[in-house]
Amino acid sequence: MRAVWSGTIGFGLVNIPIKLYSAVQDSRLDLDMLDRKDHAHIKFKRVNEDTGKEVPWEQIVKGYLYNDEYVILEDEDFQEASPEKSKIITIESFVELEEIDDIYFETPYFIEPDKAGVKAYDLLLKTLQKTGKAGLGRFVLRTSEHLAIIRPREDYLMLQQLRFSQEIRSPEELSFPSNTKISKKELDMAIQLVDSYTTEFDISQFKDTYHEELLKIIKAKASGKRRTVKKLKVVHTKSSDLFSQLKASLNPSTGKTTKKRAS
Amino acid sequence: MTNQQKLYWPDEKITKGDLIDYYMDMADYVLPYLKDRPLSLHRFPNGIKDAGFYQKDVDTESAPDWIKTITLHAASASRDVDYLVCNNAATLIYMANLGCIEMNPWLSRVKKLDNPDYIVLDLDPENIAFKYVVETALAIKELLDKVGVQSFCKTSGASGLHIYVPTGGKYNYETCRLFAEYVAKQVQQDLPKITSVIRTKSKRNKKVYIDYMQNSRGQTIASPYSVRPKPAATVSAPLNWDELNDDLAISNFTIENMRDRVKEVGDLWKDIDKTKNDLRKAIEKVEEMAQAHVE
Repeated sequence: MRAVWSGTIGFGLVNIPIKLYSAVQDSRLDLDMLDRKDHAHIKFKRVNEDTGKEVPWEQIVKGYLYNDEYVILEDEDFQEASPEKSKIITIESFVELEEIDDIYFETPYFIEPDKAGVKAYDLLLKTLQKTGKAGLGRFVLRTSEHLAIIRPREDYLMLQQLRFSQEIRSPEELSFPSNTKISKKELDMAIQLVDSYTTEFDISQFKDTYHEELLKIIKAKASGKRRTVKKLKVVHTKSSDLFSQLKASLNPSTGKTTKKRAS
Repeated sequence: MTNQQKLYWPDEKITKGDLIDYYMDMADYVLPYLKDRPLSLHRFPNGIKDAGFYQKDVDTESAPDWIKTITLHAASASRDVDYLVCNNAATLIYMANLGCIEMNPWLSRVKKLDNPDYIVLDLDPENIAFKYVVETALAIKELLDKVGVQSFCKTSGASGLHIYVPTGGKYNYETCRLFAEYVAKQVQQDLPKITSVIRTKSKRNKKVYIDYMQNSRGQTIASPYSVRPKPAATVSAPLNWDELNDDLAISNFTIENMRDRVKEVGDLWKDIDKTKNDLRKAIEKVEEMAQAHVE
């Protein structure tokens, strides 16, 4: 695994040198874009919109349109905007893990201590395990600032990136039930139903089968057992006018056959 | 026989006599698909370089008395028309001698004129490679297989493919047309980039046109083993479904090699009239699948 960030966790007078590793991976298959004709790879080029000429990476900068003019930002500018946060995650407070609404949870990272930080890391881990709390802080990954919590999981610490509250949309334009009358009997019955369907949550039972299926198809194609045409997805529009006409014409006793139809 | 030396395909040096020889040799294969069906005569008395003409009404006065006809009211001409019916080799040769290069029978037979035996989907490419016709045909086959319907495929001999669904004459033309339309539209939805169900030329440019409109009384379609008035004297050839691959081409089957092919593979469509698809069951299957799709 390759570290995506290295720096320190700081709280109070303690600094723990650490590295962050992404805790998740994509279950998607890695597909390449090819030309159907000769299976050559499709290449992307960054071109100058005016000249159409390719621009090398080192010539590419990021700019912000401000008062009709572009202000160009350099690496130093990004660093200056958050000098400490790009190297340190300062724990600003500790919160009850249970108080955080799941909707804010984003990408998880593993936290690994550097050699000099092993003891302090373990202390923080044990303390959080004991108290059931999580450290809340901010850090900068690449060019954006993130809110994050540090929490114990099994026998290590994790950093869980959180969304800011302005990233969460409001559902106010949607309509939800209000003032429906539900009798105690109905509720009891529903609860009973839920109880009888209740199982222990075991995520290992749920696999991303789509990509397994896709891989099977790829293997079958590679062995020449499958023709190279698109798979038909059967979207049976049986509710359509055409389908009901067809059905009616097959069952003249139950429905009238339409003599003429505009097509 | 008249004018046997006349060049019907001048570029290929194929004569009227060659055409007559073909139908004589192939009569056993051609006739089962013409038997008891009214025919439209598509005549090319001057070969394929001249525009041919259609003749429905046979002049019963001048025709030999052993020729069988059926008198039907033709809506298009608003009068009674004597349609030729070809039930034997003599009539087949008589037609070829009139310059009928291709044989164009109805989809229904004289005893049950309103109930076709076959539902037909005619796949016709418009400025698009033939492999897309193959892909469309396979998609149609896949859909039909899914709903338990057996189908048969042949080259049209011109530019596309014909798919036949035999019904045993259990349903009328309207039902058959609706079924064909349903299949055509389902497949079109799935292959929108390469198919069209709209006849207008501009709407089907660079597409495979899935024609379901042939399923009407009085419409005809070139029969299996018919020679077509096209360069190289191509023939409408019944196929095995596994022949629908990248090697398939209309030009693979001609007046020259068809006799050898039938010696080798026989009539690949010989079971078509024993196959009686149940459209009601197919429709139930569609509903089951739609239900499963929702769930």
